[in-house]
Amino acid sequence: MKKSQRFAAIAVATTASLSLAACGFSESGGSGGDAEGGSTSLNLLVPSYSDATQSLWEEVIEGFESENPDISVNLEVQSWDNLESVLATKIQGGQAPDIYNGGPFAGFAADDLLYPAQDVVSPETFSDFQESFIANAEVDGTAYALPLIASARALFVNNELLEQAGVDAAPTTWDELLDAATKISGLGGGIAGYGMPLGSEEAQAEAAIWLWGGGGTFGDAEKITVDDPSNLPGAEQIKKMIDAGATQADPGSTDRSPLMDIFVQGKIGMQVGLPPTVGQIAEGNPDLDYSIVPIPTRDGSPFTLGVMDQLMAFKNGGDKQEAITKFLDYYYSADVYVPWVQAEGFLPTTKSGAEQLSGEASLKPFLDVLPGAKFYPSTNPAWSATNGAFKSLFGQIQSKPAAEVLAEIQAQADAG
Amino acid sequence: MITTTDTPSVPGAGAAQRRPRPGGDLRSVEKPRSGARDLLAALPWISPALLLIVGVVMFPAAVMFYNSTRDISVSGIDKGSVGFANYAEVFAFPHFWPIFLRTIVWVVVVVVAAVLISLALAQLLNKAFPGRRIVRLAVIIPWAASVVMTTLVFYYGLEPYFGIINKTLVDIGLITTPEGYGWTRNPPTAFAWSIVVAVFVSLPFTTYTILAGLQMVPGEVLEAAKMDGAGPARTYVSVVLPHLRGAVAVAVLINIINVFNSLPILKVMTGSIPGYDADTIMTMIFKYIQVQQKIDVASALSVVSFLIVIVIVAVYVRVVKPMKEV
Amino acid sequence: MAIIAPALQAIRLPATQVRRRRFTDDQVPFGSVLLRMLAGLVVLVVFTLPYLIMFFGSVKTKPQIRSVDPTYFPTEWRWENFATMWSTPETPLPQNMISTIVISTLATALVLVVAMPAAYYTARFVFPGRMVFLFLVIVTQMLQPALLTSGLFRQFLALGLIDTWAAMIFINAAFNLSFAVWIMHSFFAGIPREVDEAAQLDGAGRLTVLFRINLPLVWPGIVTAIVFTFVACWNEFAASLVILSTAGNQPLSVALTKFVGQYETSWHYVFGVSLVAIIPVVVLFMLIEKRLVGGLTAGSVK
Repeated sequence: MKKSQRFAAIAVATTASLSLAACGFSESGGSGGDAEGGSTSLNLLVPSYSDATQSLWEEVIEGFESENPDISVNLEVQSWDNLESVLATKIQGGQAPDIYNGGPFAGFAADDLLYPAQDVVSPETFSDFQESFIANAEVDGTAYALPLIASARALFVNNELLEQAGVDAAPTTWDELLDAATKISGLGGGIAGYGMPLGSEEAQAEAAIWLWGGGGTFGDAEKITVDDPSNLPGAEQIKKMIDAGATQADPGSTDRSPLMDIFVQGKIGMQVGLPPTVGQIAEGNPDLDYSIVPIPTRDGSPFTLGVMDQLMAFKNGGDKQEAITKFLDYYYSADVYVPWVQAEGFLPTTKSGAEQLSGEASLKPFLDVLPGAKFYPSTNPAWSATNGAFKSLFGQIQSKPAAEVLAEIQAQADAG
Repeated sequence: MITTTDTPSVPGAGAAQRRPRPGGDLRSVEKPRSGARDLLAALPWISPALLLIVGVVMFPAAVMFYNSTRDISVSGIDKGSVGFANYAEVFAFPHFWPIFLRTIVWVVVVVVAAVLISLALAQLLNKAFPGRRIVRLAVIIPWAASVVMTTLVFYYGLEPYFGIINKTLVDIGLITTPEGYGWTRNPPTAFAWSIVVAVFVSLPFTTYTILAGLQMVPGEVLEAAKMDGAGPARTYVSVVLPHLRGAVAVAVLINIINVFNSLPILKVMTGSIPGYDADTIMTMIFKYIQVQQKIDVASALSVVSFLIVIVIVAVYVRVVKPMKEV
Repeated sequence: MAIIAPALQAIRLPATQVRRRRFTDDQVPFGSVLLRMLAGLVVLVVFTLPYLIMFFGSVKTKPQIRSVDPTYFPTEWRWENFATMWSTPETPLPQNMISTIVISTLATALVLVVAMPAAYYTARFVFPGRMVFLFLVIVTQMLQPALLTSGLFRQFLALGLIDTWAAMIFINAAFNLSFAVWIMHSFFAGIPREVDEAAQLDGAGRLTVLFRINLPLVWPGIVTAIVFTFVACWNEFAASLVILSTAGNQPLSVALTKFVGQYETSWHYVFGVSLVAIIPVVVLFMLIEKRLVGGLTAGSVK
């Protein structure tokens, strides 16, 4: 696997330099075939983050097309549920989108489908990405994806419920969390102390929060290590929380989004949220008295889960590199990118963006914890399978022994 | 059109009772022809349909069979042949047989329940009463609506905290936890509710087929039964039901295929549940595609499920002989 | 193939039904009519309740739908949801509606044109390969659409029809052919052969026999086939999702998914659009309900 990957990387690098040369040649030779045909068209496949996603992209495209009348961009927005199956169908049909917005990318890189990031953005744009994000997009030292948005997790606390339950301060350690959550659950009336979503929607996130908070890891670019003793404390703590009745009912099959709706409406004491949660509270229940604090860990040391989505450029025969570069450079220019990120409520991945948004009060708690963020091992081609295994299996921890569940996930990840 | 519908079909009553053995008689009227010539004569009539099926369905079906023997990467790239390794993976999966059994339970329970309820429903809709037309239209709505949407309404009704069904159960005191019960959060209840929804959406078609079948019960036979002093229950069992055999046989056959291949209901109702304790073959195919991104294994399981449906249908046809006339 | 015949043939024979249908006495005791009405009411409620919930959801506000203290009725009626859903940023709904109508109508028409001769001929004549043909038709119903999409995509890409209505019209027609052929086959089979023979003795060609003589007799069967096909095309999702990538080309079934965001969903629109999508189909049913179950309504209690 590793060997072939390295080979792929070399192959990619070679092709890339070749195509770069070709590109340079055509540039100096006058603008190649494109100018004659009149226009290049780019296909853009993106997931829907919010009800604004479609119009935000349309704005970007409109602005870009007016600056580059010879390039047209076709936008396709899909829900997250359908995104990956639509993409897989297109790839099998040899019609990968030129630019794709998604999560896992290492599998595409391993199959030699992607342009290296540096080939599709100008050096200025590339150097504007924060190094830690670029590092998370690298396979064998080459970045294959462009960091698009980031999020960091933090604990959302319902101050009123904490007060009612007689908890003085937001918890920072597991013991305090268990204690506070148990007290809040004791209030009765359908109120849950801690909202724990281990259902298929985003089980991997809640799993990471607990397992890593106890000193565990999912592995790195080389190896997936879910079935590892270091993950047991976190897994056992999850069971402890459930057994103590500190969580809502049926955590193993509760999805994240509906649970957050319940937190927003004041029925849950504490739940881990992310930047867009702030906007959801403002819309759904602006009167909620809440605060955002770092996620409690085993020993109280600060930690957060960082999640990054990225843009990828598919090679598709390699004749659209120039147009893709133009589009991405346009998109990542601060005037275009910052309002986009801001509207979706996420954190920017560029230095200039972070600078511009540093004053945002609602983002501050997240920007503060972002530097210490740990990311999924998304540069490992097996991450996609691992991710799927977490989604479909981790919730069983509610009723099965922790070690057994971790072993099952490891097995499925290895098989993928 | 309306006038012609009513007139000349009377002599057809006899023919309708007979199993249509198409052609036989008519062909003997015409001069005997060779098989090849028969086929040639048939081509202009059947070739448009053949062309459409072969043109559209053959290739994708072939791709599915082909993919089931390939190694396809997460991103969808074909890495070469693996023979029957994908099939081996399907059968080696420890949950395969429980899932297989659950699929059979799913099909049998849904189809049997749908048919039984439809028999009663058709009986009611066949009786005259004021407002019958509106009731008949109401029965049709779940057919017109997309299955996903109908399922979503049930799903949200059953959610703790938000759900209307849970609220009602709490209000009338059947559930003591104020946020309701997690019907869709536990495999047995989620599966049971999926069956309820599946039966619900199968009722319109089944009921209407049986309703049409009820029209075939000759009035004289009913009257004769009455004169013999048979009660309504006895009349139903010994006179009406035998006449419904054909209608029920058709409804069952079509329901078997549809229910077996039904994905959206279980996908929505059991979607958030971890593990494989509420899965059927269809949701497992979905999980292979969506969660594990193994299109190759999904194709293999899909081929297996295709063969299972064919076997089930063959067994059904053997045992029930739906084509045999009453 | 003839299996469907007994069930549906009944539809074809309204004239005889007046004689045979005598299920109920003319003097039905008042009590049992009341009982039937009561049972009818229960059925009415059970079958409309989910869609009433859908309706109430569609006129609620976004936060109200996801309220942890759910109310049966909206506390504030947002009728404008039905107006605003036509111009959301997520999807061009008027175009989606047109797309759904065009695809469903033309696919149904294509099915009709293609299935009718096949159904007629297989019901009337024996020829080698007839069973093979009929089997081939059923098999299309047993394949899993989710795994055919990849092949369909490649195929229509090669044909240059990707992202076109034409592609979806062919796909819908091909996958819904089987039911139409089954139904119409059994109806044609129910027509006494003497009718054909008489016409042919008068010198009518086979096409004339089909269109002039047989067709009028099997209208109820054709109507049934139309309904089956139309409903299936109307709600098709799996293939449309991958074949149609331009938002304006997509049918309502795909458009609905556009209201589902990563962390929040516009349920009021999802419910509203679903309801709007049901209405044309129910109206179609309403227009042909009588035909669907033959002359059932004749002689009902007035």
